[in-house]
Amino acid sequence: MTHRDVEQRLDAYVDGELPESGARELAAHLAECRDCTARHDALVALRSTIAAQAPYHRADAALRGRVRASLRAAAGGGQRPWLISWRPLAAAAMLAVVAVGGWQLSAARAARDLIAGDVLASHVRSLLGEHLTDVASTDQHTVKPWFNGRLDFSPPVSDFAGAGYPLLGGRIDYVGGRPVAALVYGRRRHFINVYLWPADRGATGGPSALTRQGYHLRHWTTPGFVYWIASDLGTAELDQFAVLLKSADVAAP
Amino acid sequence: MEPSDLARFEAAMLPHLDAAHNLARYLLRDDSAAADAVQDAYLRALRHFGGWRGGDARAWLLTIVRNVVRSSRAETGVEFDETLHSGDVADRDPAADLARRTARATLAAALEQLPQEFREVIVLRELEGLSYKEIADVTGVPVGTVMSRLSRGRERLRRALSDAAGAGA
Repeated sequence: MTHRDVEQRLDAYVDGELPESGARELAAHLAECRDCTARHDALVALRSTIAAQAPYHRADAALRGRVRASLRAAAGGGQRPWLISWRPLAAAAMLAVVAVGGWQLSAARAARDLIAGDVLASHVRSLLGEHLTDVASTDQHTVKPWFNGRLDFSPPVSDFAGAGYPLLGGRIDYVGGRPVAALVYGRRRHFINVYLWPADRGATGGPSALTRQGYHLRHWTTPGFVYWIASDLGTAELDQFAVLLKSADVAAP
Repeated sequence: MEPSDLARFEAAMLPHLDAAHNLARYLLRDDSAAADAVQDAYLRALRHFGGWRGGDARAWLLTIVRNVVRSSRAETGVEFDETLHSGDVADRDPAADLARRTARATLAAALEQLPQEFREVIVLRELEGLSYKEIADVTGVPVGTVMSRLSRGRERLRRALSDAAGAGA
């Protein structure tokens, strides 16, 4: 592998976009080439500088209102009443299918879907409003005790700032008919909500991965806790985060 | 359009309003032009919502934002020349100017000074975390081009930052 080969592939390597064999080959070269290692380190440093310092231009409330108002106007103006008549029929047919199919859904599946709906609604609410956290702290030793006396269980709380997923805080939320612990993590300018509660009540079956309304949800159960996570992060990063959470749960006393 | 269709559209697309605005603002480098582009993009997305196949909502919306930005600029029709921008960085020396600013402002300024084709892949990769494939879809170029633009864009950025640090020392 020449320096030129490395140069051309180093970005794909740090982005995790090289196929496994290529990544292995490049890692082997880095292990014995000081120049290329320096390049690699400079690239990693640049990426973390951008992640930490590049401005993220959020939409303000005025733009949000303006966009919604113009969408409403456009949707109303585009109404074509003569096309509507078939829709109630289609909806009724659909309901009939759902009703029949509903009998065949296992209870666990139905419960899982209900909870997924709660998780999604809570995640969206937390992003739209001001109420992302009740306790805002990057310190797990502040967040964990905050739950004492507010919940009838003590959730494991870990910070993953070292891996690029800093803890931002926690809050109490309501999912599946019970109060649950919600932990909030950041990834660049994105948020991840983690919901957990004791596994002995309200177990909801095996691991699952859902995508709803553009958000990705992940669910699994450990011996101690039921986990749900929700985010608009890409699936690769969300799965990476899930691996971190699972290993922290195992390590928890 | 049915109210339920609008609700479905809003539920899928409004969560990505920040991402849409961020991209528009980086491409246009102007607050009010960015806000206009975002509004246009949402209206265009609503009209074409039937064509959305339920893939990644954010990538789909960002594709439209980018198209709106590019058409709103009444571009001169000059294609981005990959070879022209492949050489060394020093068109001019912004280092002395940059050195007076804080690190954060330095980075923001360096990003703004990148040619748009480099700036957009960096924003999509580093601030939105899109994969190379998704960036290729949003920008309409092959994955190999995404890779080389990212690499050259980062190299320019790195040099601009180290020049600024050198001038400040």
